[in-house]
Amino acid sequence: MSRIDPVTAAVIQGGLESIAIEMGHKLMRMSYSSIIRESEDFGAALTDADGMQMCECKMSTPLQSGPIPGYIRNIIKVLKERGDPVKAGDVIMHNDPYGGASHGPDVAFCVPVFLDDQLIGWSVTTAHHLDIGALSPGSCGIVDAVDTYAEGLQFKAIKVYDRGIKNEAVWHILRANIRAQDLVVGDMEAQIEASRIGAARFAELVRNNGLDETTAAFHDLMDYSERLMRNAIKDLRDGEYTATTYLDGFLDDPDPSLSKLPLVVTLKIRGDELTVDLTGTSPQLKNKPINMPLVGTVDCAVWLTIRSILLDTTTYGAIPQNSGLTRPIKIIAPLGCLANPIFPAPVIARFCSGNQLADTVMKAFAQVVPQQISAGIGNLRVVAISGLKDGNHWVHMEIMEGSYGGRFGMEGMDAVDTLYANTRNNPIEDIESHIPLRIERYELRTDAMASGQWRGGIGAIREFMFLDDAGFSLEGDGHAFKPWGFDGGSDGYVASLTLIRSDGTENILPSKVPYFEVKAGDKLVSYGPCGGGYGDARLRSYNAIEADLQDGLITKGFAENIFLI
Amino acid sequence: MKSIGVDVGGTFTDLIYFDSFNGNVGIHKVATTPDDPSQGVIKGIKALCELNSFSTSDIDHIFHGTTIATNSVLECDGVKAGMITNNGFRDVLHIGRHQRVEHYSILQELPWQDRPLIARRDRKTVSGRLIPPKGEQLVPLNEDEVRQAAKDLLAAGVEAVAICFLFSYLNPIHEDRAKLIVQEVMPNAFVTTSSFISPQFREFERFTTTALASFIGPKVSAYIAGLDKALRGLGVRGDLRIMASNGGVATPRMVVENPALTLMSGLAAGVLGGGWIGAQCGKKRIITFDIGGTSADIGISVDGSFSQTDARSTSIAGFPLLMPMLDIHTIGAGGGSIAYVDKGGAFRVGPQSAGAVPGPAAYSKGGLEPTVTDANLVLGRLEPTDFLGGDMRLNTKASNSVIKSLGDELGIDKLEAAEGILTILNSNMANAIRSRTVQKGLDPRKFSLVAMGGAGPLHGAEVAAMLQIPEVIVPPFPGITSALGLLTADLKYDAIRTQFQVSTTLDLNRIVSDFKAMEKELTDRFSSDGIELSQVTFTRSGDLRYVGQGYELKVPISDGRVDANEMSAVWEKFHDIHAAEYGHAFKSSPIEVVNLRVTALGNLPKLEKMPPRKRGSLEDALLYKRNSIFRDQGVLKTFETRVYRRALMPIGMNFEGPAILLQKDSTTVVPPRSEACVHISGSIIIKLEI
Repeated sequence: MSRIDPVTAAVIQGGLESIAIEMGHKLMRMSYSSIIRESEDFGAALTDADGMQMCECKMSTPLQSGPIPGYIRNIIKVLKERGDPVKAGDVIMHNDPYGGASHGPDVAFCVPVFLDDQLIGWSVTTAHHLDIGALSPGSCGIVDAVDTYAEGLQFKAIKVYDRGIKNEAVWHILRANIRAQDLVVGDMEAQIEASRIGAARFAELVRNNGLDETTAAFHDLMDYSERLMRNAIKDLRDGEYTATTYLDGFLDDPDPSLSKLPLVVTLKIRGDELTVDLTGTSPQLKNKPINMPLVGTVDCAVWLTIRSILLDTTTYGAIPQNSGLTRPIKIIAPLGCLANPIFPAPVIARFCSGNQLADTVMKAFAQVVPQQISAGIGNLRVVAISGLKDGNHWVHMEIMEGSYGGRFGMEGMDAVDTLYANTRNNPIEDIESHIPLRIERYELRTDAMASGQWRGGIGAIREFMFLDDAGFSLEGDGHAFKPWGFDGGSDGYVASLTLIRSDGTENILPSKVPYFEVKAGDKLVSYGPCGGGYGDARLRSYNAIEADLQDGLITKGFAENIFLI
Repeated sequence: MKSIGVDVGGTFTDLIYFDSFNGNVGIHKVATTPDDPSQGVIKGIKALCELNSFSTSDIDHIFHGTTIATNSVLECDGVKAGMITNNGFRDVLHIGRHQRVEHYSILQELPWQDRPLIARRDRKTVSGRLIPPKGEQLVPLNEDEVRQAAKDLLAAGVEAVAICFLFSYLNPIHEDRAKLIVQEVMPNAFVTTSSFISPQFREFERFTTTALASFIGPKVSAYIAGLDKALRGLGVRGDLRIMASNGGVATPRMVVENPALTLMSGLAAGVLGGGWIGAQCGKKRIITFDIGGTSADIGISVDGSFSQTDARSTSIAGFPLLMPMLDIHTIGAGGGSIAYVDKGGAFRVGPQSAGAVPGPAAYSKGGLEPTVTDANLVLGRLEPTDFLGGDMRLNTKASNSVIKSLGDELGIDKLEAAEGILTILNSNMANAIRSRTVQKGLDPRKFSLVAMGGAGPLHGAEVAAMLQIPEVIVPPFPGITSALGLLTADLKYDAIRTQFQVSTTLDLNRIVSDFKAMEKELTDRFSSDGIELSQVTFTRSGDLRYVGQGYELKVPISDGRVDANEMSAVWEKFHDIHAAEYGHAFKSSPIEVVNLRVTALGNLPKLEKMPPRKRGSLEDALLYKRNSIFRDQGVLKTFETRVYRRALMPIGMNFEGPAILLQKDSTTVVPPRSEACVHISGSIIIKLEI
């Protein structure tokens, strides 16, 4: 049942959406670090007073906007326990991975919205910060933190502005405990401004349309999203569908229990409800930070994948992202598993685990809706490069793309971010102009094509040379287990990373490498992963094979071998 | 001096002429000839001359707006193009920014992978490498490899070659040399370089823009050569000027060399025309609001200048385009927009459009879905017997029936459904205008809205009311604003130099010498195009950002001496612009000069005013009264509404809404609680009770 007439609902919904877009637009353009402005690793959303998400910025990355309701719910809880009610003019900083945050570097700035004395909602931005004071420079590639304390500063519902007054002490503490302070604090200020703009616009929207009307429109909007999701689930065959994939874990560690970590997903479909049961997934790693917070990472990975498959934007158009979409979906993750770790198990490097989990969800759906999925994706890897210049740290983070598997009637997407990440690379001409790196190669791999009726996507080769001494670390996955082929398509190709020292010695690196020093003249050669093939290679059209040959994606020998031509 | 503006649209080719000697103005419209648009142009010019009794040889200037380049991209109908680039970077065009178009879609298409402008097999790599900060040569260009690549491309049947090297915007030496070699091997090919097309950093965007230029180059050349020949055949001796995306016109030669200049020009002329109309009414702050059948285009003009887009906000058919252009915001909302109940049960309007065929149900051409036009008809805001000047009869029964079905599906009354369509559409458009005004620190309450295009005058007043814009201007001929805009354009060329200089360590000499070099380059360009430069003005600006940021803001730089004083004024201006644009400035942060720009304007004769109007009276103009429905104070009410023949309306006589004004190219709605009058310039000014 609708609470409000459909016209008013549409008008208010349009208003909410443009507020979120404005917040994201301003944050992206004001921010300093490439991880926000280029990689677009930020979120912007409005919630109601209880933390139900009303809208999100369509430019923001799903893994940032998705967790926002969890941040707010935890802030509300903490402030209540503390007996410190939220006031107009407050700005609250929060990054607790056991309190809704996706991981420590994703810091939220939350501005409560008041109408007279009544709390009516929250305007929130989140963003991935360059450094949050962990054991080594940068906020990626910290693969050796032993617990959350080693991952950097933890802010649990801290009022950085209290009734409009800046809490200077917090900022002094922050500046003294993080690297690249100016950039990070600049980005945080940009976040605060964007959240404040969102709050002002939201208050104005409510004043113009009335609180009851706005609330009614928002609840209708949640019902609407929920209805779409329920209808899509209802169309699926009831039953249980299980899939397993493996994380590399720590391939170079002598302890075998730290590698080949299973991720197990069982979909339980009953009518218009869906349970995603992660029972069987590897136990948490006690002192390695690739565990995934259940709220903030696991839930987002699951929701996002389901939405992308069942309510694919290409088919459904843009559907408002709000808390209604997730109501029909229940997630079960046994406490103490990789997908529901126990505090203070470290989580800062959960990025690749979460994306692999998303891939596992897709693998389970492949049994249900085979024409709506892709074969296995190639996972991502993040590198952090840092150095000191005139006593100040510079930090550069680069997300190295994966690729998609083949799809029904379509080839896999080549060299692209996959599933729950959708960032942008940095232009070579920007990188070389600003940091002491030279990019020597950025192009597709040759003869690394998963065969199938529709081929897998091809990963990219990137080579970069250090022009100065620097620090380097890597947080990745997919060096050991090939992306899965589907329906007769072959498996894809794993990723690799090789360090070539200036004296010519070569080191093949595992997918997780904690901070180490590199010298000017050292070189890194990265091969991106290639997604799995879809369908029987014998059904692939001769023209398609011929085109790939002409394009130099495969050589003749490879084609003869793989496609048997 | 006689000038003609001729704008080729999807359906009609609009023409307008102005004689600066006697102030005469004439307009005309012919059907567009899609297979070869120049035929329609020629036919229209001939007819315009005959109608106004002058000879084609009397024409001094022809200003032309063409979508030949745009359509070629949109329809994927270019030539087989090739590329020569650095070793190791064969797939810059293919990988792009490694970002998907959609967050939530497995089955999506990536335009640059699924519809490549240049196939991988035709992307050749050669050794040679330049490096920052100044484009120093790290590896020399291997000329033998370039020659071999050109031979291979020739053998493959490639007709256009894009030469794209990293850091060429700092130093074009390798690209220029490679171009000469390729031209030797392929004398008939269209060959261009990325440093010529768009010399600024960001390789994917620059290479893609260059690939677009190559993809369309031969077609644009052929079109312009054919048109020029046909014009000469017609006896035209005056010169031809082509509208560019930057809001100026260019010589045919310039457009042939850089066809990417025209890719977004279709909208630019309309915005210029809207700005001119506003200025005729004495307004300095103008929002142009152009609604056609499928889309609405929004532009902003303050004190006669139009905002430009930043380098990162423009794309065509999913491909990024690094070209100076007017900031025009387009949303999928127009007269043909379809209203529907979506899969989740929500009431939506657009962006899908019924187009011209099958069109709205009212057109009786097989359209079965309710559109905005149907809603306007049901509410009595369009005249069924007087649409397009009576050329088309609207089917009220069909509109009522489709709107009623929609209402039934939504559980609301037919009239509520019809009015709901307009409210949702208008609110989408108001949000779009808000994103260009409120969100950039501009207060729409201080602007006038120029409502144009066939459907703009139907919606302008209600959209303005949503934004508390106090007044709406409806041009004398809302449907030909683009053709009119052509007659207000100057020659306009842009030059750019990437700097990456920081405010704390600024090399002023480099800035001074780069400005000088750009001004010389532009002057040379004009003279090599055979333009007499009696009146050229240069405008300088910089693309600035705080060190570390990724998006630049354009800041004006004075044309006098650039010294430390001027630069501190520039920094201050940047802080102010940043605060206006984003709501905040970081005053203690150092600032980076990313690019310097110079725009050269060559003054051309312009349209001065519209022809004086015949004297009329409200009584003469009043056709009849009818019932129309409006929402007033939240409730749907039926109003007795006066229907006027616009051409017969008197100047300066106020009349109250609700009223409907009929003319051939548009219908104007003056809603209740507003009053309007015809301004001396011929435009209608509607004043809203805010």
